[in-house]
Amino acid sequence: MGGSFVLHRIGVATATIVAIVMLNFVLFRLMPGSPERVILHGTPRVTPELLEATRERWGLNDPLFPDQFVKYVSATVQGDLGYSFVARGQTVTAVLGQRIWPTILLFGLGEIVAIAVGLALGAYSGWRRGGVIDYIGNGVSLLLYATPYFLLGMVLLLLFGVALRWFPTFGMTTAGASYDGPLDALADLGLHLALPLATVALGLIGQYAIVMRSSIVETLSEDYITTARAMGLRDGRILRAHAVPNALLPTVSLVAINLGYVVAGAITVEVVFNWPGLGTLTVEALQARDYPVLQGVFLLLSISVVLANLLADLVYGLLDPRVRT
Amino acid sequence: MRSSFRARLARILAASALALAAGAPAAVQTTAADPLILRAGTDQDLQVLNPFSSILVVDFEVFTLNYDLLLNFGADLEPVAGFADDWDASADGLTWTFHIREGMKWSDGTPATSADALYTFQLILDATERSNASEEGFYLGAGYLEGYHTNAGVIAASAPDPQTLVVETEFASQLLLQAYVPILPKHIWSEYSLDEIGSAEGAEPFLNEPPVVGTGPYVAVEWKPGEFIRFARNPEYWGERGAADEVILLTFESADTMVQALKTGGVDYVRGIQPEQFEALQSEPDIAVVEGISNGYSEIAFNTYSRGAIPGGGASTTALQDPAFRDALAWAVDQERLVEVTLGGHGAPGDTNVPPYHTRWHVTPDRPRTFDLEEAKRRLDAAGYPLDGEGRRLDNEGKPIVLRVTWPDSEAEHAIDAQLIQEWWSSIGVGVDAYVTEEGKLLEDLLPPEGGGLANFDIELWGWVGDPDPTSLLNVLRSEEIGSFSDSFWENDRYDELFLLQRAEADEATRLGYIAEMQNLFYDEAPYIILYYDAELHAYRTDKFDGWSLQPSEGGTPLFGYGSIGYTKLTDANAEPTPGPTATTGPSAEPTPAPSGDGGTGGTDQSTLVVAVVVLVGIGAVAIFLLRRRSGSTEEE
Repeated sequence: MGGSFVLHRIGVATATIVAIVMLNFVLFRLMPGSPERVILHGTPRVTPELLEATRERWGLNDPLFPDQFVKYVSATVQGDLGYSFVARGQTVTAVLGQRIWPTILLFGLGEIVAIAVGLALGAYSGWRRGGVIDYIGNGVSLLLYATPYFLLGMVLLLLFGVALRWFPTFGMTTAGASYDGPLDALADLGLHLALPLATVALGLIGQYAIVMRSSIVETLSEDYITTARAMGLRDGRILRAHAVPNALLPTVSLVAINLGYVVAGAITVEVVFNWPGLGTLTVEALQARDYPVLQGVFLLLSISVVLANLLADLVYGLLDPRVRT
Repeated sequence: MRSSFRARLARILAASALALAAGAPAAVQTTAADPLILRAGTDQDLQVLNPFSSILVVDFEVFTLNYDLLLNFGADLEPVAGFADDWDASADGLTWTFHIREGMKWSDGTPATSADALYTFQLILDATERSNASEEGFYLGAGYLEGYHTNAGVIAASAPDPQTLVVETEFASQLLLQAYVPILPKHIWSEYSLDEIGSAEGAEPFLNEPPVVGTGPYVAVEWKPGEFIRFARNPEYWGERGAADEVILLTFESADTMVQALKTGGVDYVRGIQPEQFEALQSEPDIAVVEGISNGYSEIAFNTYSRGAIPGGGASTTALQDPAFRDALAWAVDQERLVEVTLGGHGAPGDTNVPPYHTRWHVTPDRPRTFDLEEAKRRLDAAGYPLDGEGRRLDNEGKPIVLRVTWPDSEAEHAIDAQLIQEWWSSIGVGVDAYVTEEGKLLEDLLPPEGGGLANFDIELWGWVGDPDPTSLLNVLRSEEIGSFSDSFWENDRYDELFLLQRAEADEATRLGYIAEMQNLFYDEAPYIILYYDAELHAYRTDKFDGWSLQPSEGGTPLFGYGSIGYTKLTDANAEPTPGPTATTGPSAEPTPAPSGDGGTGGTDQSTLVVAVVVLVGIGAVAIFLLRRRSGSTEEE
């Protein structure tokens, strides 16, 4: 039953998110340094009276359960993640809101390019196993897969940014630039996007091509491929109509799960190119001990992994009816 | 259904790729009237425009660009004309009269008068009064600026006429002339309450977002938190004009990326680079490096808490309360080697708590120590810390001494210091248990009972950074600071007395005598061992701006010193030699259109083409793939 399958998956995802929200509550209280210290970070003269007043004001003298827990959960549900320590006076949701779009742009485009190129390369390599394309493609894929993002990013930066001067090496736009029109602005963005986008895409291409290749190779030994061959279908037709759709299944889950790791992967690429997204925000927050922001990033990251998994399950269900039981 | 969706997606993608490609060739056209932009990179976050929230060096840089101090800092940190252009003290030194410059205007055209200065002084007086009246204290934002007025003894201010500000002080002191407090525009700030300005809990904080109204040489016109703050020339500025039409301060999370940006000309100045990057930049064309001395130090702080045992906390041995024991340990620290290994040679071995940066106040100790392990052993023996059969030093209770040495995780280089210290001290029989502590936790561990903590540590490695006047660095070791700033809990009546004497002393020679005695007391008793004075490593491009001047003129840096003087001295390196100053007709303070052909993207037309091609190929691949899938599946249906 399709309906109950979907409901079940959504139920599991919801339960996971609830568990994450609760874990977030516990983590904040397990952190080194008591919360009132963290709240007062930066205040030079801390008297016992000030500490006590702060504890009172933040409800830290209330029992952990149920009082503090209920307050925390109801605030989180309403999207109230508290205030950033560093961006004084700004809410965590506002800070996250400013920084999420650059990350989505960078990794969204990166995923699209990587899916297109990676899957095509993997499918072709698997199909022409042992051929020149497979030989080179597989080697390059392995190399890209094994290279950490920051290294790949630095190499691209030094080559195309510093040595050849083709692209700017940092930021999302030229600071202080004004544009003749939207296309002008878009071109500036495109130039800044090129190197980080290439880094993300190349890193993912390796991964996708390898999985797609092995999946195709496996599929080729299936009976229905032999049958298709026996029917006299053309090679390209067999690949596109029979091999690829079946081989896509493991790749789909890989891609979907990868979507969830956008923030995690963002950190190194964004730091290398000073891209103003969630990755650089995480590093800033870590260095400045901005715990509310870190808590917010953690929540966002966990929820995106859960949602991506849910998406993978649902897409899988669509592609392969056998799963829907 | 599925395939028609794919086809639509493919068409959209193809169309947007075309649009991008069509737009690209028109991309970067630079006009002749490009403003000259100075871009300076820093490793610190740009999160603050309200001066009272300032904590980091860059925060202070931001507000001294926006605003004048009552008196600014000169090339050698001496008081020079700022918001006031003349000043005078009464015979008893208790009343200061400041003359406010005539005809001066805020960047929005409003006249700037003594009413603005009075407003600023009164704001801090109100905050201090409120802090004294309440048990829990009250701080204006981060609480770092009030001290400049309270330490100068400010008790009242008045403005008898628009050009005169009169300040009454509790004691005679020169400190008011060095107050790091910006004079704020009353017509803007008086609309906000003390709670809003001070970001008090529960109040909507006043962030002072752009466009900022100031009297400084540049005013903030655009702010992208975590990215950059852009400043435009203040058209009303009264002082010397630097060549830059705009100043942009940028944040970098990675020092490598920042250094690469300097190489490509993406930024013109960088602060906060590593020793190895410093070495590498020395051979780059059109780049100059500068090694300034830091107004601060890194230290070993001993837990000397002597007001009784702390149940569940405190130091592991009473030996730490003994000056002779601390002195002996100091003989077993090779500072030259620490500078070599930890700082890569960029820095100087430390001695007193007033760094040599303060050329007028620093003294070398009368009884200096050297690195001498044998001498250290002799002194430990003489002070009554004998060795046991296993070669371990015993304290007065006959317990082997094993010292817990820790440092904050934010200062990773102290791990190297700790390792070396462990080697040296174990060779004289003193055990060391070295470990890193999360900064937030360490801040808590360092608090004595007076501050609501347990002082649960033996030795910590950390550092302090000072002001143009040594008062704040001297203050850290006062016994009155036990419970707030003091992290060694050292108590010395003479030192405390001298602190008050020097603070209230108008005569420089007499004051130096007090400060010299304080430094010697500090050095001999060794509540801290000053490990080293770190260096400030900066680098800048020489092909765009000229006139880089150091502050202080010996051992200083061009920017990120004290105040905005470095920015006002810059000249255009590519200017035709013309008789007049380069930029007397600056653009307005409004966000100026600033197309920038100087963003370091040489050969932009070519690169535009390349990016268009890359994106086009990527998107085209998706489109073709999806379209072919579509045709495949229709064939099947």
